[in-house]
Amino acid sequence: MSAVAAKPAAGSAMNPGAMAVGIILTLILVGICYVMSPGAGLMALIGVVIGGILIGFGTHFVPVGGAPAAMGQAPGIATGVAMLATGAGVAGLFGGAWAAETLPATMDPMMQLLIVVCAGGVGGGLMMAITCMMVNFLYVFGMGIPPASGKVANDPITGDSQAEYKSQGTEGHGLPFVSFVGGVIGGTLGGAGGTLIYFELLNLYEGALPGIMNVTAAQVLPIAVSLAGMFAVGLFLVNAVLTAYNITGTIEGPHDPKFKRWPRSIVASAVASALCGLCAVLIVVPLPF
Amino acid sequence: MEHIVFGIGITALAGALATVAGSAEDTESNIGSQGDPNSQVQLAPQMGFLHRIFNKAVAGEPPAYGLWCCLGAGLAWAFMAMQINPVLAIVLGCVFATFVQGVYATTAYVGRTASLAKFGQPVYVDILKSMTTVTMAHAFIAIFCTVTLCHLINTALGHPFPLPLLGLIWGIALGAAGSATGNPYYGKERQYQNQKFGAGVPISASGNIVRYAEAGERNSIDNGWFTAKIGGSASGICFGLIVFLELWRTVVFEAINPWYAIIVGVLMILIFTVIDRYIEVWARKTYGPYTAPKEAEA
Repeated sequence: MSAVAAKPAAGSAMNPGAMAVGIILTLILVGICYVMSPGAGLMALIGVVIGGILIGFGTHFVPVGGAPAAMGQAPGIATGVAMLATGAGVAGLFGGAWAAETLPATMDPMMQLLIVVCAGGVGGGLMMAITCMMVNFLYVFGMGIPPASGKVANDPITGDSQAEYKSQGTEGHGLPFVSFVGGVIGGTLGGAGGTLIYFELLNLYEGALPGIMNVTAAQVLPIAVSLAGMFAVGLFLVNAVLTAYNITGTIEGPHDPKFKRWPRSIVASAVASALCGLCAVLIVVPLPF
Repeated sequence: MEHIVFGIGITALAGALATVAGSAEDTESNIGSQGDPNSQVQLAPQMGFLHRIFNKAVAGEPPAYGLWCCLGAGLAWAFMAMQINPVLAIVLGCVFATFVQGVYATTAYVGRTASLAKFGQPVYVDILKSMTTVTMAHAFIAIFCTVTLCHLINTALGHPFPLPLLGLIWGIALGAAGSATGNPYYGKERQYQNQKFGAGVPISASGNIVRYAEAGERNSIDNGWFTAKIGGSASGICFGLIVFLELWRTVVFEAINPWYAIIVGVLMILIFTVIDRYIEVWARKTYGPYTAPKEAEA
């Protein structure tokens, strides 16, 4: 079938067969990790996969309008999906990594994980809250344009009517309240997911690298931090870009019909995160042959 | 206590640097037409509107600034490892990163504009010579401020990430904040200055960007001058607030109890949510609807 003959709605269709293949691939990758490194490595990989899924799911919440939003032709933030989600996520990662550094080593590991992930989530959410607020500030006070959604008649949270606030010839503009809330949720999930990946990989590297390199734990810390940080940023970009393909351009937030595509995206994020995470784990696992 | 006071001072300085960085970043991207409004700069010749606007959008602002800030921070870090004074090391690192930005801007402008040759759009050598240096100057300010605040975060506040990784992270965040806040002002308010104020650009007007200035043809320095007043300032405030509040809540509350920093962060999010809602309601009341509300069907 040619591209011209393809169904117009094919972009939003779910393919159960492909999703099943994706889940099987994820399980195979986790199985390889179980064989190669059943303890800490497997735990780290599961953390990476969960973190990747959180990033992929969270990116769907972020209201991104792309080029049309930059002309006030469509609602959302006037930049790319992957760009904005990554910006918020790495801001969260920054906060989460800092929290991980300051926690006492004697603290319960689960409590450490909870604090670090919450700190990362709040960092990402705060970045998005400030950005979304400033976007509306500029639309309203700089350009005299009230926020209006093009996808729903009434804001699902506030109940405000939207259609009459859309200027002529546009699909809406700015960030209606539901989009603002979606942005904050997206930033929070992204920041939490990125920090989870960082923290799990950091624990793995801190435990494995001293033995491999024959150095003390204090000497290996900068290398472990750098490695885990680079992998976390890289996995962020992988998952955010994958989700951007699923969204195909722009999305208004959780009320947008495109939001319903998220199951497909989290399967893809799980596969990609499992593959990248396996590479991140195997660099500190001695080969059995 | 002294440690916290010192941390707050560093936080304030980092916030001020971030504000300047955000402002310079947005102005640089507008002069270079790198943000999303560039779609119109690329589209205009295809609609028959030839122009003299710079055009270097071959990458989004976040990855581009991630690269330049990471490069500046990495080189500064290497120079510092060679026992060079940190101030000089940061300046040198940022100068080299700015050269890379200049090469990027030159090749991007020539490549993107040459692709429009079939529509009759010329590559203006005088535009290349006059605009590139202006974008480089603004890029240097943005990169220098970002790398300096990363250095402060790393050495004075003790963040565990090495300087190049901090440069990458805050470079991406800088590009994200700057493009999110500043792009609509450049796209709607400047490129479509001939459209009605207080309304979005109708989709039918796409490509018909303003190409003439008070005297002669408009160029990108005019656009930078115009957008620096509100778009640049708003981007600066946005990035400054992100850096300042993120650092402030951590420096002050993390040492007391890690949960306090998280709770304060949540409170800040709630405060910004209330402000945003106030702005939205104010706009709806003050500007009013464009059309009369439809009567509910009986």
